[in-house]
Amino acid sequence: MLTLRDICKTYGSITAVDALSLEVRAGEIFGLLGPNGAGKSTTIAIATGLVAPTSGVVDLLSLGSPSQASVRRHLGLAPQEITLYGELTARENLLFFASLYGVANAAARVDSLLQLVELDARAKSRVSTFSGGMKRRLNLAAALVHDPQLLLLDEPTAGVDPQSRNRILELVRTLAAQGKTIVYTTHYMEEAARICHRVAIVDHGRLLDVGTPNELIARHGGSSVVVVIRGDAELRVVTVDPAGEVARQLSSGGVTGIRVEQPDLEAVFLKLTGRSLRE
Amino acid sequence: MNAILAIATKDLRLMFRDKGEVFFTFFFPMILATFFGFIFGGGPDGGSKIDVALVVESDSTLAQGITKDLLADTSFEVTQVERRELAEDLVRAGKVTAAIVLPASMQDGITGLFGGGGIPIEAIVDPSRRAEVGLIQGKLNELAFRQLSKVFANTESMAQLAKGARQSLASASNLSPGQKLAASALITAGESFSSSIAQGNVKEGETNSSESESAEAPWSPVAIKIEELASREGGPRDAFDISFPQGIVWGLAGCVMAFATSLVSERMRGTLDRLRLAPITRGQLLAGKGLACFVTAFLVQVVLLALAVIAFGSSVQQPLLLLVAFLATAFAFSGLSMLIAGACRTEAQAQGAGRGALLMLAMIGGGTIPLFLMPPFFKTVSMASPFRWAVSAIEGPFWRDTPFAEQVLPLCILIAVGIVGLLVGVRATRSVSR
Repeated sequence: MLTLRDICKTYGSITAVDALSLEVRAGEIFGLLGPNGAGKSTTIAIATGLVAPTSGVVDLLSLGSPSQASVRRHLGLAPQEITLYGELTARENLLFFASLYGVANAAARVDSLLQLVELDARAKSRVSTFSGGMKRRLNLAAALVHDPQLLLLDEPTAGVDPQSRNRILELVRTLAAQGKTIVYTTHYMEEAARICHRVAIVDHGRLLDVGTPNELIARHGGSSVVVVIRGDAELRVVTVDPAGEVARQLSSGGVTGIRVEQPDLEAVFLKLTGRSLRE
Repeated sequence: MNAILAIATKDLRLMFRDKGEVFFTFFFPMILATFFGFIFGGGPDGGSKIDVALVVESDSTLAQGITKDLLADTSFEVTQVERRELAEDLVRAGKVTAAIVLPASMQDGITGLFGGGGIPIEAIVDPSRRAEVGLIQGKLNELAFRQLSKVFANTESMAQLAKGARQSLASASNLSPGQKLAASALITAGESFSSSIAQGNVKEGETNSSESESAEAPWSPVAIKIEELASREGGPRDAFDISFPQGIVWGLAGCVMAFATSLVSERMRGTLDRLRLAPITRGQLLAGKGLACFVTAFLVQVVLLALAVIAFGSSVQQPLLLLVAFLATAFAFSGLSMLIAGACRTEAQAQGAGRGALLMLAMIGGGTIPLFLMPPFFKTVSMASPFRWAVSAIEGPFWRDTPFAEQVLPLCILIAVGIVGLLVGVRATRSVSR
């Protein structure tokens, strides 16, 4: 679906993207996980054709570079910023973007999108009156207005409350279920773990590893910790076989409590970079 | 084309939903034009009074009487000038509706009444102010007739006239005794009539003008000669002819700034990325924005002109050519808007440097001081401003009645400004969009 090969992007002496190669498969939710400033947004901008790479090749649907308008129309972008017109209504915004793509039966398409993002009741309200979560959902709808095959979502949950975040994540899942290919950038490892089929971990513009969350954890997460409580005493057992360890501890008797601490993507990132995602 | 229209419609919608932009583009120029119009010389009739220039060439008592009555008349705002030429200039400049001349041929006594074709009064008017001419004519008749009662009430003058008539009658050899008797009776009746008017004046004081008019109307001894100015010679009819093109300058400046910042705003809030992602060319994007600016610039001019015509009685000399001027001006300023939009990378640049440069161009282009009042040096400098050419292109068909050949230059310059602005704007946009 989307291929980035040896992509480099430098701004003067600063290297934003460093020899990054990726392949996003059709129908998957592909996560780009990394801290702020890791080069995720630059990678997205290069993938859309908005920014030309210093070197490297981008290919979308085997059609060529998205710098060509005919290729670009197969992708939709929901940028990290709310890129909407505050003085226009939700419906006017979507109709405007639909008209740029020459969407047939635009009014019906816009109405169905407003329903999808649960903003149909506020269709005639100006965007400037919306909450952060509502703006995020409309921002996503604007990327969908021309029904693209590839959807690039750059930090789509940034700055929204937990309830809105859940709605957006469910929406992304719904879109994937409808057959969209989604590239999802985030610095929230729990989001990536929750919805992404595969995750690429990036830092300082470099791709550190890519795989399913379980694969990454298995490769870099390290061992699980089984915490065994006997009365006032707590025992932490590091193991690669947590199920077996739990069984062994229970069979030895006297256990008043037991829990397993599994490694996660945070641990993977820590292992790969030596620092936390939120640092 | 649909994409261009969509961008233009969206930009117009954004523009008209921004109260500040609407105010500075439409209402501020209206206020400015009206304000300067009144400052420079007021409306076409100055409210309820008619502005007239008065030239008194006659030293007769009759002329003094008319002058006195004219100055006292609440219908007129009189400016006395020494020479007829000065009065004509005031008419041409639209400072006064008409010039009233009491010529040297105006004489005392009633001799002139019967021998000279009536009391001579001349009125020089602007052809575009014909609606007020009838009113002025009626008023002058009224004033002149007021003087008649004074002439006839002058018993001494009438006695001298009767004496002379009787002497002529006595020496007349071609009249029969019967005819001489009848003529003598007529002279006696005249003396008696004069005496009765004098007594009536003593009794009643000032004669009511409407009564005198109805009583004396059959005589028609007042000869009012209305003369229209042969040529306008490029002078404005009133101050609003000057102030409204000035208002248009400011409207255009507001319009340019509104749309010059729109591209920068799109860039700042990220919507430019969405526009660039859409399958449209940079040229289409600029054309859409330019079209929105063009429509607004055209509307600004039409709205201000409509206000000038409807509220202040301005009239258009060459409507078709004015339409062409409006279109060329709108095109030029759309180009200028795109140039600034492409050149400025931040809103601060557009708001600061862009607005500053525009204000400077507007000022030297006739936005603050009308071009014809500028010293020669500034007139030359003003040629660097597209506003100056817009004012020239608009004033020509609006009130100057300039021949088409003279209109070609400002129109061509405006179109060239538009083309250069668009081309440079597209090029500059390309360099900053990456």
